[in-house]
Amino acid sequence: MLEMKNINKIFQTADVQTHALRDFNLTVNEGDFVSVTGPSGSGKTTFLNIAGLLETYTSGDFYLDGQNVGMLNDSGRSKMRNQKIGFVFQGFNLIPDLNLFYNVDVPLRYRGFNAKERKQRIEENLARVGLASRMKHVPSQLSGGQQQRVAIARALATDPRFLLADEPTGNLDSEMADGVMSLLEDINKQGTTIIMVTHDPELALRASRRIQVKDGRVSELDIVAEKALA
Amino acid sequence: MFSYYIKIALISIKRNWGLSSLMILAIALGIGATMTTVTVNYLMSADPIPHKSDQLYYVRLDSWDPNNPYNEGISPPAQMTYIDATNLLKAKKAYRQNLSSQAFGVIEPPNPDDLPLFVFGRANSSDFFAMFDVPFLFGSPWDENSDLSKEQVIVLSKQTNDRLFGGENSVGKTLRFESKVFKVVGVLDHYDPKPRYFDISTGAFDDPADFYVPFSLIAEQAVRRSGNTNCWKTFGDGFEAFLASECIWIAFWVELQNQDQVEAYQTFLDAYANEQKNFGRFPRPIDNRLTNVTDYMEEREVVADDARMMMAMSFMFLVVCLLNTVGLLLAKFIGKAPEIGLRQALGASRSTLFLQYIIESGCIGLAGGLLGLLFAYLGLQSVETLYGSYMQGLATLDFNMVVFAMVLALVSTVIAGIYPTWRACRIQPARQLKCQ
Repeated sequence: MLEMKNINKIFQTADVQTHALRDFNLTVNEGDFVSVTGPSGSGKTTFLNIAGLLETYTSGDFYLDGQNVGMLNDSGRSKMRNQKIGFVFQGFNLIPDLNLFYNVDVPLRYRGFNAKERKQRIEENLARVGLASRMKHVPSQLSGGQQQRVAIARALATDPRFLLADEPTGNLDSEMADGVMSLLEDINKQGTTIIMVTHDPELALRASRRIQVKDGRVSELDIVAEKALA
Repeated sequence: MFSYYIKIALISIKRNWGLSSLMILAIALGIGATMTTVTVNYLMSADPIPHKSDQLYYVRLDSWDPNNPYNEGISPPAQMTYIDATNLLKAKKAYRQNLSSQAFGVIEPPNPDDLPLFVFGRANSSDFFAMFDVPFLFGSPWDENSDLSKEQVIVLSKQTNDRLFGGENSVGKTLRFESKVFKVVGVLDHYDPKPRYFDISTGAFDDPADFYVPFSLIAEQAVRRSGNTNCWKTFGDGFEAFLASECIWIAFWVELQNQDQVEAYQTFLDAYANEQKNFGRFPRPIDNRLTNVTDYMEEREVVADDARMMMAMSFMFLVVCLLNTVGLLLAKFIGKAPEIGLRQALGASRSTLFLQYIIESGCIGLAGGLLGLLFAYLGLQSVETLYGSYMQGLATLDFNMVVFAMVLALVSTVIAGIYPTWRACRIQPARQLKCQ
């Protein structure tokens, strides 16, 4: 479970203070598929970065699986990221020099799995996203949709509790976007909690729960009513 | 994980081939220049006879001018008079003793069609060969009796034997040296210690001797002597007067097997000097010294100051090369910020990443070290070409130097990589991931 209580995030420059999140309160339960929408600059990505332990917060309390994240040092945060969180980015963020096998291998290396287990997990997860036959290919040999599938396979390889997706379909055409969304839905059905930031209202409606971030604050939207309206 | 980091480093080096090549080249130039000068200094200052350098002692007696001290009184005369050297030899108070001087002459080759050879060599005692572990290819040294009876025997260097006898075993054959018939009793294997510690008065890095003859033949004038000669007192005409003079021109070495023998020999020397005072010699305060090989090389500053200066300058050049490498590594690692951010997101801690990129620096350093060894080899070849036989044997990379070069390259590049790596690991992953 992910729980944020009165989280504030202030970006401080020499002259300006920017309040990215203000008293941000959110609880995400196990198995949720949460879509996060909101206008540009509203704080969606800041929220996702804090949720993914990629950024620290200024004040408040953040618990991930009951553990107070604020107490962790860099090493502890890295360990928790590796064990509990998977990331899917808009820009795929694959390492261009490594083939698909070694791209998926990266988080498994940091987890410390042995070679046999790493190989098994890589093959399983690439098969799960339909790319088992392309293991030796490098990212540039794949389409955008396929690259995003590899990124999803990499995120799932460590069996994370949470999958954080930042505009996962933002760089894809509608057909590819639909494929990636279907994959995320399947993954969610298999038990992985997903938090997805998106600008696309249609994709947001495919989540089981929708929240909106505006001026650094969160508001829960009635997804049933929205679906009925749609 | 170490092999994984190596693999990632090699991929990264291949990916940024241009930048990596520049760094490797910068390190190689620094290592090449440094290793060229370090090797020359190392070989100049190396212990030429490590297994017994603490048993071989150079003997000096202060028989010099009472009004004008030798070397401003810092040390006694660097060589010995004929009177003292022969007296010490006759006394036989050491386990082994050797007196020697440079000699020269003309050898008439056995084949009358060949031109005569003008050769430089040494006149010394029979103990010389055993004291200094001189290797023989054929035959053996002359014995003490040959020395005493002034036999015209000769030991040839390998090179001289090659020239005169085509490399055959010439022991027992005769040759004409200084118009006299000499019998060959031995032929040396290659023997060219650097520095030539047993006589540095004529240059510690000069060519090896072409021949060796008994020292007693000098007094007989069967062989002409050469080398450094210093006198403080006038003497009469003729060679006999020269031998009886206070001129110093002989190197005297003893082999002493333990500290008791050293102390006993020092006592003997002091007693000898006091005895000589009774004959009106040794007008200065007693200052007799026994100095082992390494101490003597250091005292005589066998490694020239300009060689040390060149080494210091080459290390400064290495520092400049490393500073360039710091800049290039910084550019490279900052360019990898998106990948670093991604790896952080996937679970790499800063310390993990630090290790990964330090290993990459180390790989670049090793590659630079390997290329630097090639540059050092070329540099040493150039030094040898420039200085000729003076540098022969001093311009070679031995195993120790190869290991030193690689360790120097590795350690210096890792140190150079610390700041760029630290900077790279300080980046905020969130910003990098959004930027991609």
